[in-house]
Amino acid sequence: MKLERNSLLILAALAAVFPLLVTDQYLLHIGIMVLFYAVLASSLNLIVGYVGEFSLGHTAFLGLGAYTAAILSTRYGLPMWATVPLAGLLSAGLGSLIGAITLRLQGPYFVIITLAFAEVLRIIANNWVGVTNGPMGIAGIAQPDILASASTLFAKRFYFYIALAIAGVALYLAYRFVYSNTGRAAVTVRENRYVAQSVGIQPFAYAMRAFVLGAFLAGLAGGFYAHYISFVGADVFRFSFMATMIIMVLIGGKGTLLGPLVGALLVTLMEEYLREAQELRMSIFGLIVMLVVLFLPKGLMGFLTLRRERRGDQGDAPGCTPHVQAQGGAA
Amino acid sequence: MDLFLQFLANGLVTGTFYALSALGLTLIFGLMRVVNFAHGEFYMLGGVLGWFVTAHLGLDFFSGLVLVAVVMAGFGWLVDRVLIERVRGQGEEPGILLTIGLSIFLANTALLLAGTAPQKIAGPLPNAPVFLGPVVLTEMRIFAVAVCAALILGAHLLIKKTKLGRAMRATFQDPMAAQLAGIKTARVYASTFALGSVLAASSGMLLGAIYSAQVTVGGIVSLKAFVVVILGGMGSFAGAIVGGLLLGVAEAFWGGYVSTGMVDIIGFIIVILTLIFKPYGLFSARAERA
Repeated sequence: MKLERNSLLILAALAAVFPLLVTDQYLLHIGIMVLFYAVLASSLNLIVGYVGEFSLGHTAFLGLGAYTAAILSTRYGLPMWATVPLAGLLSAGLGSLIGAITLRLQGPYFVIITLAFAEVLRIIANNWVGVTNGPMGIAGIAQPDILASASTLFAKRFYFYIALAIAGVALYLAYRFVYSNTGRAAVTVRENRYVAQSVGIQPFAYAMRAFVLGAFLAGLAGGFYAHYISFVGADVFRFSFMATMIIMVLIGGKGTLLGPLVGALLVTLMEEYLREAQELRMSIFGLIVMLVVLFLPKGLMGFLTLRRERRGDQGDAPGCTPHVQAQGGAA
Repeated sequence: MDLFLQFLANGLVTGTFYALSALGLTLIFGLMRVVNFAHGEFYMLGGVLGWFVTAHLGLDFFSGLVLVAVVMAGFGWLVDRVLIERVRGQGEEPGILLTIGLSIFLANTALLLAGTAPQKIAGPLPNAPVFLGPVVLTEMRIFAVAVCAALILGAHLLIKKTKLGRAMRATFQDPMAAQLAGIKTARVYASTFALGSVLAASSGMLLGAIYSAQVTVGGIVSLKAFVVVILGGMGSFAGAIVGGLLLGVAEAFWGGYVSTGMVDIIGFIIVILTLIFKPYGLFSARAERA
């Protein structure tokens, strides 16, 4: 717990000084994308790592957030500080609706129904031309007024700090959730549903909270994305976003707070490195998913905590120990 | 009224195709409890390989189909022995993730090798129209429905009448007892996966002759197969057939009477409604497994 908190604070401090030291706009752009994906991966991790169910429909919330911000901004002229939180709230609303239906199901049924919801939203976004502008997408989403006469370097720095603020909010909420009674209850449900029920934990209620929080954070990320890229199309629902998020959570280690951050950093850098070869990149991603599942089922963070425990380092046991012990012993 | 019959006929034809492409998925799930998210990619491989052997190796349609079936049986066997074997008995999640990884890998590697252009497989029959009363179909479609029916019947006989089929059913009922009775369950699992791959690939090649073989088709095929399997009940043979026909007919009527733009949405609405009201499908095979 202490380790995780301190690492998070150190990472936040490093991220805060990063744009002051760097003047290269390309590096700043990569930094912004790392933060954006960190929020997304953390929000997916709340569902995958703390509900213990695998969602393939997380793009539904990202896309809804992005479309909400785009429509509120272009049609009603709301400024960015209003559209992004509203995008998060609307996604949370949709999350409670979808969660109420999907969280009754488990295993493959949950995977498929979440995928079905995301597909339904994608088809609607592609066909409901009156609201979403169909396949043409919504372009020209307003930038904040402060950037009207500013240099592009200032704009990148501005967006970097906005992204950092959103990531800060996301991780603060995730941290408070994970180390609260609600979070501990959710972990109990994930580890053993029947034991949890027998000590009076209602699995559905706790899964629902994690799910809605995940949806809220994904909506925030989507709203930010809409303003930063200033274009939203039905592409935001596409599966490659989902695949990227899954890989980040898996590589980093699901069920840890640091894991998705590590995953977001590694995968975004790798994506940039391989950006010339789009298909090759996805092929490699597929291979990585298989290799991680076979050889590193707890991800990098799980691997590290396992090694720490093997060395008998009892100093400050990280928060995810029950998970590691329960399954690491069986492996 | 004439159009009603035409829509019904179109729906039943498409439904037969859906049934065949979903059959492999439901077999693999029923026996192995593995949800194969790479199923659509197996279908795609069938289509692309079928195009390759007919257009580049110069085989005729039927010997091409046999060759594709043999290759894909070997491929399915290998996938099971190399990948699925390692996560067997660890619950459903590792299998789901593994096949998602496999599907991303196969789809994009095929894209690198074969490109995005849709390829037409030369069918054994012309696309000449056939008039059956008020209904118009093409010769090739009627032929494809016949082949689908034959393949479904073949799979049914394999499971009900052969020694391998008995071993499969025994493993389905109780893997431990089957092992005690001397059944090599690892081999049964690999055979089931091979059979599922063959069914997916042959429907891919068959439909490649009617529509076209395309590398990017895997995702939508997987989704449709999931719709069919969830509607029919995961693991149920009859459910896959009824579910396929129902989906085909529902899509044909929706496309004919409501709107063609959002035809794909009907499947997802069916999935959501089924999972809410009848989560184990119309023909649940769940009760058979203790």
